[in-house]
Amino acid sequence: MRTEGHRDWKLSLGAFALGDLPPDERAAVAAHLEGCAECRAELRSLEGVAALLPLADPDRIEAPAARPPADLGARIEAQIAAESAREGREKRRRRFRLGVGGAVATVVVAAVLALVILPVGGGENSPAQEVHFASVPKGISIDAKLEPHAYGTEIYMYVKGIRSGTLCRVFLRNESGRTFSAGSFRYRWGGDSEAQLSSALDLSQAAEIGVHAGGRTFTAPVDQATALVGGAGIDPA
Amino acid sequence: MGALTRERDVREAYAAHSGELYGFAVRSLADAGLAEEAVQETFVRAWKAGDRFDPEIGSLRTWLFAILRNVVIDLGRARAARPRVADGGVEPSVEPLEQALLAWQVEEAMRRIGEDHRRVLLETHFRARPYSEVAEELGVPEGTIKSRVYYGLRALRVALEEMGYED
Repeated sequence: MRTEGHRDWKLSLGAFALGDLPPDERAAVAAHLEGCAECRAELRSLEGVAALLPLADPDRIEAPAARPPADLGARIEAQIAAESAREGREKRRRRFRLGVGGAVATVVVAAVLALVILPVGGGENSPAQEVHFASVPKGISIDAKLEPHAYGTEIYMYVKGIRSGTLCRVFLRNESGRTFSAGSFRYRWGGDSEAQLSSALDLSQAAEIGVHAGGRTFTAPVDQATALVGGAGIDPA
Repeated sequence: MGALTRERDVREAYAAHSGELYGFAVRSLADAGLAEEAVQETFVRAWKAGDRFDPEIGSLRTWLFAILRNVVIDLGRARAARPRVADGGVEPSVEPLEQALLAWQVEEAMRRIGEDHRRVLLETHFRARPYSEVAEELGVPEGTIKSRVYYGLRALRVALEEMGYED
């Protein structure tokens, strides 16, 4: 039934759907619809849209579309970058503040004392120790956290600024000067590994912590913040 | 685009959808500052939940609008909890949110159709002017006004469908 007449009827369907036709025209279109399934289907489709029109506000249609401020995208990116960084920090979850300076990568290593025969102590009751190695070359920072446990001591090493690939050997010394190896690690730029090992040495027995790295040895007392620089050649291994 | 977990994905999503999201936020919150806050929060939430976005289930646009809808509800609640101050500003929208979203979609669809069709629908339907008067003003036959109403409605339907509208 595709004739010019049919097309004319079809073009009236918009006005019909919106209720805009005068009564005589409306009656004529209604009569056509009785016998034309195609126009009835088209009308149903238009009526769905026509029913939504009253929701719209003509003044808002004609107003210029609201556009977000030019810097909103940058603000969102900045917030996401900040949250991303914070999430990374929370994942590592440290009670311990690293030294300043973001230019150098940080390596966090939990070094653990080797199995050695040690005196039994009540170390679990000792407070955790946070030790800062004060006498280190500029650009290098070494910190440690020692946690007492029933089975001994956990040592977390925080080292920044040394040459990538450097082998670092960690040791503890007791009050009588005996040295106990605490294992070793390699410093890597951008490294982000975390290891938790265990040690049999009781924290209450530890007087000094040392790191042997790149031919030099750095030490710090466990029970006070004053750092000592150990002489080269103290090789705990 | 798959999961929205990388910052670059967020940048692309922002470039594609921020205009619409902001338009709806302004429409529903009636406050440009709050609308900015809503859009910012939407993209941050999208990034945080980015691994849960599945393009097999729905479009990124639909997903972002669903998040924005929740953000707008949260902001609306927060605003309702604050004491009102006489600031002489625009009264906040009181439309239910679903209706506000549909209204915004119709307005946005009207902006997207051709100028001739929009003009005729605005004058005849929204302003209830006789077809003959509009025809004379535009210098076209009355039959042309009628056909523009028809094609305008069809174009509007297509624009709405592009925005996810279904009967």
